Amino acid sequence: MTTDEGTGREAPATARQAAFTGKPRRRGTTFQVRAAEIAARSLITAGGLGTILAVTLIFVFLLMVVAPLFTSATLETRGTNSVESSVITAIGVDRYEALKWIASADGRVLSMTADRVEVIDELSTARDGVGVPTAQTFSPTLDHAVLGYEDGGVVLVDISFEEDYLDGATEGLGDLAEGETRVVDGWAVQRTPVGQLRATRLAWEATEPDFPFEGSAVHLVDSTDVAGSPIYATLTADGQLALTKIRVRTSMFGGETRTPSSIELPYEQPDGAGLPLALFLNGRGSDVMLLWADGTYHRYRENDEGEGALVETRDLVADPNARISAWTQMLGKESLVLADDTGGVTTWFLVRDADDPSKLVTVTSGSMPKLTGRHVTALTPSPSSRLLVGGTNDGKVEVYHATTHRLMGESDLGLDAAVTAVELSAEETSIRAAAGSSLVTLTLDPKYPEASVGTLFGKVWYEGYPEPEHVWQSTGGTDEFEPKLGMVPLVYGTLKATTYSMIFGAPLAILAAIFTSEFLSRRLRSRVKTVMELMASLPSVVLGFLGGLVIAPFVQDQLAGVIGVLFALPLAFLFGAHLWQLIPRRLTLPWNNGWQRFAMIVLAIPIAVAIGAIAGPVFEGLFFGGSAQSWLAAESGEGAAGGWALVTLPLCILAVLLFITRVVDPLLRDRLVTTEHKHLARIQLAKFIVGGLAALGLAFVVGFGLSAVGADPRGGVIDTYVQRNALVVGFVMGFAIIPIIYTLAEDALSSVPEHLRHASLGAGATPWQTAMRVIVPTAMSGLFSAVMIGLGRAVGETMIVLMATGNTPIMEMNIFNGFRTLSANIAVELPEAVKESTHYRVLFLAALTLFAMTFVLNTAAEIVRQRFRKRAYQL
Amino acid sequence: MNEPPTTRPAVQGTVRPDDVRSVFDAVSKGEAFETCVHPEVAEEDAVLEVSDFDLWYGEKRALYQIGMRVPVGKVTALIGPSGCGKSTLLRCVNRMNDLIDSVRIEGDMRLSGDGIYGPKVDVIELRKRIGMVFQKPNPFPMSIFENVIYSLRIDGERNRTVLDEVCERSLRGAGLWDEVKDRLQDSALALSGGQQQRLCIARAIAAEPEVLLLDEPCSALDPIATGRIEDLIEELKGAYSILMVTHNMQQASRASDYTAFMYLGRMIEFGPTESIFLRPELQETEDYVTGRFG
Ligand SMILES: Nc1ncnc2c1ncn2[C@@H]1O[C@H](COP(=O)(O)OP(=O)(O)OP(=O)(O)O)[C@@H](O)[C@H]1O
Ligand SMILES: [Mg+2]
Repeated sequence: MTTDEGTGREAPATARQAAFTGKPRRRGTTFQVRAAEIAARSLITAGGLGTILAVTLIFVFLLMVVAPLFTSATLETRGTNSVESSVITAIGVDRYEALKWIASADGRVLSMTADRVEVIDELSTARDGVGVPTAQTFSPTLDHAVLGYEDGGVVLVDISFEEDYLDGATEGLGDLAEGETRVVDGWAVQRTPVGQLRATRLAWEATEPDFPFEGSAVHLVDSTDVAGSPIYATLTADGQLALTKIRVRTSMFGGETRTPSSIELPYEQPDGAGLPLALFLNGRGSDVMLLWADGTYHRYRENDEGEGALVETRDLVADPNARISAWTQMLGKESLVLADDTGGVTTWFLVRDADDPSKLVTVTSGSMPKLTGRHVTALTPSPSSRLLVGGTNDGKVEVYHATTHRLMGESDLGLDAAVTAVELSAEETSIRAAAGSSLVTLTLDPKYPEASVGTLFGKVWYEGYPEPEHVWQSTGGTDEFEPKLGMVPLVYGTLKATTYSMIFGAPLAILAAIFTSEFLSRRLRSRVKTVMELMASLPSVVLGFLGGLVIAPFVQDQLAGVIGVLFALPLAFLFGAHLWQLIPRRLTLPWNNGWQRFAMIVLAIPIAVAIGAIAGPVFEGLFFGGSAQSWLAAESGEGAAGGWALVTLPLCILAVLLFITRVVDPLLRDRLVTTEHKHLARIQLAKFIVGGLAALGLAFVVGFGLSAVGADPRGGVIDTYVQRNALVVGFVMGFAIIPIIYTLAEDALSSVPEHLRHASLGAGATPWQTAMRVIVPTAMSGLFSAVMIGLGRAVGETMIVLMATGNTPIMEMNIFNGFRTLSANIAVELPEAVKESTHYRVLFLAALTLFAMTFVLNTAAEIVRQRFRKRAYQL
Repeated sequence: MNEPPTTRPAVQGTVRPDDVRSVFDAVSKGEAFETCVHPEVAEEDAVLEVSDFDLWYGEKRALYQIGMRVPVGKVTALIGPSGCGKSTLLRCVNRMNDLIDSVRIEGDMRLSGDGIYGPKVDVIELRKRIGMVFQKPNPFPMSIFENVIYSLRIDGERNRTVLDEVCERSLRGAGLWDEVKDRLQDSALALSGGQQQRLCIARAIAAEPEVLLLDEPCSALDPIATGRIEDLIEELKGAYSILMVTHNMQQASRASDYTAFMYLGRMIEFGPTESIFLRPELQETEDYVTGRFG
């Protein structure tokens, strides 16, 4: 038959047969039909595969951006030079790595090219007639130093790099290649990528000495800088301790006047101990900390009267035989890092005392992996992050992440000497370590030290926090800020938004679906459905700004009224239904159909709103001293009982309901079998009123009981009121997810076979009984999948949560406070994130998490729906 | 019909009594005619009385001046060609037609003397007095037990012994007890088609209805299951008044006491089954029951 297809010629005689038309029936499939079949099939296949491919590609793309976060750092030796110098105590390098300086124990500071040891300049820290410093400390960022001298003088040094651009025709530099450094007249010259000649030299600007204790040799000194005003602490060899603040005033003619003012601290020396090993001043200049070799730690603090006192004493090294071998402060000078000769490296910082919040205590957030048989002899913090570099007594360099106490990398310098100084460049691309007379340069690629599975999803103990916490705070105001990239608050915020909007939206949508599918006539049903689906076309950004700019201020203004209406609405409907039964059937029957019922419901709403709006403030006046918000904000004490009553009211209603159905109803039923309708209706109404009052009464008994015991309802689902909060988002996002849940739920309910509905109604069940006993259970999985899809929508919703919440990444269920969702976070932060930075990649991880969440939800919904379909076929 | 029945229909207008197909002619021309009601019918007490009942689906009229009495404790069969309005009439009895928007009715229907379409009638209460079994078995997706006691559940009955008792009695009544007594908690959907239909009958009789409406209860069943249902109808007779639609002439003749023949929305002839099948008054009825037309 194949040859006949498409041409329409007659089929062979064997196939010929008598037919209605008299002509033999053509049985071949025409070419067009086949072509259409093939085209349709391939198009559908291509479309389906394309979709799967697109989703997979998006997933793969997200994964590719995220994956580098979990790669580990690399560290390798670049080169070794030997320097003629005594023990090197500090090393610094400029940001272009053109030149470096090294400070040595003999008071010399040499500046030399970064990659070689060609000396450019040499200066001395020795003062005329006084000699080399007896104490010196470099700041974590290596741009300041403070030097103390034999005669009690203290000199502050500003270390910077002066830069200049040379004329391209400068002699002898024509052949300078990029990456090469050449020394010209005391400048280190490099060619920039755009071909300019950049000259760099060290600028070492020392102040004239101050004398907090004239004549007493300075033993230890440390400095900090608070808003341009230097502060330093000095301990003299004869045991005098002082905190000196310097007021710098710039006169009109450009000259600076420096006025130092010192307060003396009552230095105490532990019995049998000599002078301390180290002195630290914290970043704010408020605390002076002394450390002895055995780990004894004293903290002095300046009080409000301007007097200093010893406020804390403890031992920071548990092992009595261990001796401190290296110490430093992290960027910002708020964390101490101590290494001891048993191989331990531990971080310490000040937090508020849990027992007495007015006091601070020094706590440890943990230790780096312990070294065995060797120990750290030099430590330096990163000038820009929380990386920490240590040099060991056996000539190795260790790179740690101080917050998470991870060892990021390790490298052997190949020298047989202990490391005396280490340095990490500002860009964190190179490390310089001094051991003996050798200076080793290492290349570091820290990758993404802030991100690890632990920091992204676990609790992290950040500097200054009283305990490990989940925190998201990606950017901060100061250079010392450490990004905190915990995803958990965002996931929590997403779930909180979802929960509250589902609590509000899902029951409404499902009830509306039941109402339209079971109570309205077909014609009305399709109209209502269209209107509901129109709701879905409201752009979420419109809902968002309505929520943020209109609803949020309104709810804040009328909080009591709004809460009142929330309770009054369902109660009013139930009350109305009971009242309705009191009206003689004769009068109500003609009204008992779709339109009228609909009209009555619409009529009930304003009444309920009016009642709620009046009752709410009355309630507020009675139980919250007139302002629930000030109670929530803990500004007024009155309200615990009312708060408890409100929070427990739903539970109390449930309890009373259970009591009525389990205990009261069976008792009543036997007596009421014969009672006529009107009478029954009265009894029902009485039951409803008594039950309602009982629930309210119970709630208040519970409320007063709990508040008498001293329990406070604040801190759980209710707490301090913030204008843009979960309640507002619940309303607005609930509104946004209602259409989709409604549509799917309505479909699920309508697809329950009509014959089941008829069987139930035919047996004398009311439409509500039919709905609850037959239709809803049958459509359960469809309803479930509707809710899941709604959930998926709520999880991914961005604009509404962005605009209607404060976007605070907090972790509390408080309905009166905001949250930050994954999606809003991505929308807010991605435009500002530096491409390929940790922050950028972590935001992609947030997207991946979101993707995974919605994927799981939608897949679950789909699986359930498939099962539902299978079951529907059986009916 | 309240007036005394006549042996021959009082044919009106141009339709001549000796014309063999005179009634169908009248019907097809849309002319009025009177139902041929056998005198035996009037002697019975009626549980359901229908008089001058008209029904429209929108513009389309489906029932014309129906008049009939369903005798108490007897089985009445409704026969007639497809589309003649049998199901429509049945659905009118428990007002299932209210669920269809376009339906409009006129005329009177009384259940034990109470008007079914009166303005004071509570449909829910009315339906509790009438049991209905549909053409296609429609058990609820619940356990067998819950299916049977559904009508008690919606009345709020919670007493377990009452429920158990009713369940057993109804299932025995529907001849299903022995087959399912060990798996009352299993899903009703796991039963066979015939069992499901008997379950639906059990569900209907659990409510102890005044009338049982059966709409082609055997159309989806094999001959053996059909036989069972017919036996069941035989057993239920007496305790229940049954109005049953069927396309199976043998079933109608075997299982029913009275038979009504409908055609194009009209009630043509109504009388004792024996008379309708063996000695129908009208030629049309004879043609239909003997299969010469239909
Ligand atoms: N829901 C409806 N809407 C409109 N017309 C209907 C509806 N139900 C039935 N009809 C029409 O009413 C007439 C009677 O239908 P009905 O179902 O009562 O016939 P029947 O006698 O039960 O037929 P069958 O033996 O095939 O079941 C038919 O013409 C049908 O098209
Ligand atoms: Mg039918």
